[in-house]
Amino acid sequence: MDSVKSKKNRIVSIISILLLFCVWLIYTDTYKELPGIRKEVITIGVFSDSYWQVQNGNSYQILEDAIAVFEEMHPGVQVEYVSGILKEDYSEWLSERLLSEQAPDLFYVLSEDFNDFAEIGALKNLEPLIQKDKEFQKERFYSSAYESGKYNGSQYSLPYECAPKLMFVNQTILEKEGLEIPGENWTWEEFYEICKKTTRDTDGNGTIDQFGAVGYTWKEAFESNGIHLFNQQGTRCYLTDDNVEAALMFVEKIEELNDGYNVTAKDFDLGNVIFQPMSFSEYRAYKPYPLSVKKYAGFEWGCIPMPSGPDGENVSTLDSLLIGMNENTRNTQYAWEFMKILTCDTQIQSEIFDYSEGVSVLKEVTESDQTLQSLIESSGNTGSLNQQILSKAVENAVVAPRFRNYDEAIEEVDKAVYAIIEGDSNISMEQIIWNRKINGYLEKR
Amino acid sequence: MDESRTSDYTLVIMKNLNLLIILYIAMLMAHSLSGYIQENSALDFLTKIYRIPIAAWKIPVIVIGLYSSCMLLLYIQNISSMGLLLKVCVELGISFCISYVLGFSYTGIVLLILADTMRYFPKAKWKFPLMVVMCLFYLLIDYNLIAAYGNITPFEAYLEYFQVDVQYILLGIKNILNSLNMLVFLVYIILLMRAQLSEKERILVLNEELRQANIQLENYAKESEKVVKTKERNRLAREIHDALGHALTGIITGIEACTTLMDVAPEATKEQLKAIAEVARQGVTDVRRSIKELRPDALEKRDLENALIQMMDEMRSATKAEIVYQCTTGLNCFHEEEENIIYRIVQESITNSIRHGKAQRILVHIGRKENMLKIHIEDNGIGCGNVKKGFGLHHMEERLNELQGSLEYSGEKGFIVEAQVPIRWDAEGKHD
Repeated sequence: MDSVKSKKNRIVSIISILLLFCVWLIYTDTYKELPGIRKEVITIGVFSDSYWQVQNGNSYQILEDAIAVFEEMHPGVQVEYVSGILKEDYSEWLSERLLSEQAPDLFYVLSEDFNDFAEIGALKNLEPLIQKDKEFQKERFYSSAYESGKYNGSQYSLPYECAPKLMFVNQTILEKEGLEIPGENWTWEEFYEICKKTTRDTDGNGTIDQFGAVGYTWKEAFESNGIHLFNQQGTRCYLTDDNVEAALMFVEKIEELNDGYNVTAKDFDLGNVIFQPMSFSEYRAYKPYPLSVKKYAGFEWGCIPMPSGPDGENVSTLDSLLIGMNENTRNTQYAWEFMKILTCDTQIQSEIFDYSEGVSVLKEVTESDQTLQSLIESSGNTGSLNQQILSKAVENAVVAPRFRNYDEAIEEVDKAVYAIIEGDSNISMEQIIWNRKINGYLEKR
Repeated sequence: MDESRTSDYTLVIMKNLNLLIILYIAMLMAHSLSGYIQENSALDFLTKIYRIPIAAWKIPVIVIGLYSSCMLLLYIQNISSMGLLLKVCVELGISFCISYVLGFSYTGIVLLILADTMRYFPKAKWKFPLMVVMCLFYLLIDYNLIAAYGNITPFEAYLEYFQVDVQYILLGIKNILNSLNMLVFLVYIILLMRAQLSEKERILVLNEELRQANIQLENYAKESEKVVKTKERNRLAREIHDALGHALTGIITGIEACTTLMDVAPEATKEQLKAIAEVARQGVTDVRRSIKELRPDALEKRDLENALIQMMDEMRSATKAEIVYQCTTGLNCFHEEEENIIYRIVQESITNSIRHGKAQRILVHIGRKENMLKIHIEDNGIGCGNVKKGFGLHHMEERLNELQGSLEYSGEKGFIVEAQVPIRWDAEGKHD
């Protein structure tokens, strides 16, 4: 009787443990490794149009070339991607894939999504792969571009292409006013002097119709004055620093020149503004024929680095398109190999200058003669852009700290800056008050 | 008995109720997840909960798999204390996993496991710590507490997919089911306690009956002992009367006749004395025969060695104690009296070991050293620190002294008896 019962108990326990094992297989996705289900395919999530808000017909060209390189190196392994997803739908598409656990092994990460995806655990920490891989040299990347893939001090993605912010200069007005184009290391004083001299009423109808700068905000001023607004963890805000006050006063001074007139980007397009900070990708997009005819027809223009503040350098932000690996990928090694082809292969990276509007994240590619050649070809102009300026702007670019709700924190600062500039009270007092408010917000997150 | 069956039914109701609740929650979560995807608000959902939840189809599958395996474990019965402990641990682990998948919105499975485990409590060891641990576990698996240490998707985030009024209804249904589970648990506890109380009463009554029966038995035993003693005494008296009395009477009469005859007919007297000697001899034979009847039965039929072996066999089968017997010398050179003593020493020691020492293992060694027979009896029983000589030991010692033997014993580690009996080499073989 007893032995019958203990035998029954044993069978029941075994079935129960088997069931638990099956649940574990399903929960961890290990069942996908089972023979018959496993496939030698890696998938990549991409969008069909360019990252740089420009339509171009070559969206999949670089990817296709990279796939060809990869499949030659690893015969039997296929790379698949879903085509036809627009950039504006891409984040949602990726989120849906993540939510249904069908996310591709690799995917492009828009820089504005990077924090969120890293925070929710969608991205794999690449540090172990990087350390294991002897071939991989992070020194080949622009340090700023490489940094932009970091979250909480660890590499969660690799940069694919980037574009620095540069100051666009309307050379026609400068010539007319008898002024030189400022040098690479120009300062806020020079910037202010030029703006002050050129902001005036040219046709004598009583209203100002020629302006110094448009789109130059506190962000550009902060970046070029060596201000680090937040600490890396995003728990403290440093709005009370002395160089912040200088930057705020400078932005206010530039604003005041316009005498209350609201200058827009359209004024620049019409040729009435000398300076506008713009992404390098826009330069690439609008320079070539025929777009340039439509947009900036009436004047000659070029680009230079941002002016430096008293405590800072000629630097600005870098916008980059990143590639991340799915945290739950079952093909880590293949995905890593393909990721390296997309980001570290000189041939593939140099195609960025042919088929996209960004800048390669590899120093050797951006600084190569071949790149210079294709830049000249596409712009048809040798004088407007200096390859060294570009390379330096990328290398020295500021990378914002990465933490959860960074965008919201920036909005808070934006509110604070406008309140301080618009307000009549003492700037340092206001800085302290607003700093306390923002710190309170950061702690509550 | 009836109440315990009702509590079993309550447990079945509880199991079904729990299945219903976890299925309800799992389906709600799965529906809301696929709804978020269909409505293109996956990004909003992800940035709200800041983690990637389990895919929609997996939630019900995993929950049902875990629950079935938990139910199988609950089905296991009649296990040892260690087994029960292991079973409860695994069950609690599974209940934690189910609660985890359901975002800790439902933890009532712990109550189900507690209810099931309580069935074992009348027999189980460590019931109190086990109960405390389970109650603590139930108290500590709470969403808010765990969310402070780990990232968990709250059930409310899934509910937010629905319209506000629907949200309230769905949450209400969940709360009602949860309360119902608690209620059933309470009913179960009450039924179980009542069942156990009536069980206790029954045991008390039975105990009383048993006690009465015991007292009666003891009385019977005393009486029968008395009867045996009287019988034995009567027999002895009869023997003495029959054998000795008869012979002595004959001798007395014969001698009296001799005194008168001696001077008259010395020859006839001689004859008469011869006859008297014959009567005396006959009397001695009769006395011997009587004593023989008092000998152990076994020794009567067998030689000493075989009698010992048989006695130990009987002891073994009667008490289940392991008795190891080693004999390194021949035992067929003793007088009857000596055989009796050896037999009694072994028998008495084994009886003592089992009765007083509760020994499981007894070693009997009989060997010879020079002209001494050594009997060594050792057991693994509880022994006794301060040996009080009972009748048995006293008797043994006395009889050994008569034979110039000796007896030693100690009770520190088990109980050890060592007896030495001198071997008389002049006696070849048995005397009868």
